[in-house]
Amino acid sequence: MGIVFTRLFSSLFGNREARILVLGLDNAGKTTILYRMQMGEVVSTIPTIGFNVETVQYNNIKFQVWDLGGQTSIRPYWRCYFPNTQAIIYVVDSSDTDRLVIAKDEFHAILEEEELKGAVVLLFANKQDLPGALDDASVTEALELHKIKSRQWAIFKTSAIKGEGIFEGLDWLSNTLKSGGG
Amino acid sequence: MGVLSVSLDKWSDEEIDSMIEVGGNNAANAVYEAFLPEGYSKPSPDAGNEERVKFIRSKYELQEFLKPGLRILSTNSGKTFQSDSKEALDGSNSLSHRNKVQTTVKKSDLNPVWNEELMLSVPDEYGSVKLSVYDEDTFSAHDIMGEAEIDIQPLITSAMALGDVESFESMQIGKWLKSDDNALRNDSIINLVDGKVKQDVLLKLQNVECGELELELEWIPLDP
Repeated sequence: MGIVFTRLFSSLFGNREARILVLGLDNAGKTTILYRMQMGEVVSTIPTIGFNVETVQYNNIKFQVWDLGGQTSIRPYWRCYFPNTQAIIYVVDSSDTDRLVIAKDEFHAILEEEELKGAVVLLFANKQDLPGALDDASVTEALELHKIKSRQWAIFKTSAIKGEGIFEGLDWLSNTLKSGGG
Repeated sequence: MGVLSVSLDKWSDEEIDSMIEVGGNNAANAVYEAFLPEGYSKPSPDAGNEERVKFIRSKYELQEFLKPGLRILSTNSGKTFQSDSKEALDGSNSLSHRNKVQTTVKKSDLNPVWNEELMLSVPDEYGSVKLSVYDEDTFSAHDIMGEAEIDIQPLITSAMALGDVESFESMQIGKWLKSDDNALRNDSIINLVDGKVKQDVLLKLQNVECGELELELEWIPLDP
């Protein structure tokens, strides 16, 4: 490993948490979901540079949630964050039908990753508040979720702006992680 | 807390030296009597014993006249440890991984600026970095003045994720968000600056009325 260098004094101390990656194309709503989870409010966001990370206590699990920037140029760095991940939250802009194919390809590329083999997958069909948004069944079809093999997964309709569906998804996630998935 | 009286107690040379070193009565009173209530009269030389005892307890034991921010509300030191006694560490499994560094002591300073660089080596299985601030006491155990924990995972994970950081331009790598769950005063940004991974942290001290701690973390990878 290495050395951490501080201008003050400190000591080491241990604890464990569930590590979760929030992935998805740019403008899918990942950061808005992160802030919803943390503060229960809507915050105007800008395209994420690198990542945002936070810890949230939910259903007696301490989630360490990594929201990774979704822009094309930084997607290649996603894989650097894959080790030791228990769950992935994959966020889809359900109204951006033009890019569902790209969302599908990125999603299946993630599932191929050896380091994410044991991770459970929670999908958010986000932006249900927008006109023309596809419902969960249509997103399931567009993302070819039937191809998922030997992995626990679920999809929820969400509106990060309205705060709908997110905590239902987190309930599923915490129950799945508690019962030994991931 | 022990209190020595100039006229009644015998002073050792060591005690006299340390009294001179901290600046004598005036310096001590600048701290311990910084906030004497208006109209409060200190016991006069001919005051009775009861009045003296009451004043001494208010001043030193209850620290009633201290700057409010310096008052120690929580005296629960169960989870903390003396600055250099290893016995006080709890016997958890991570004991062997513990390492600890300490700044110098800033004397008679209510807003100390350390500006010191301290180094900790990070084992494969690491936890949070725990900070403890103490008020050094010459004659008794040091008083804990607040604590905070820093989750170093964002720094280390992002540094390791980038790998050879020297090949990148300076940029913002990520942000660790302030929440009810951590001691952050505001979102803490991790930057890549001239090939070095650095994180600025502003912490609200915990278990104390108020107090902040500002520091910069830097991750230095070792050659494999």
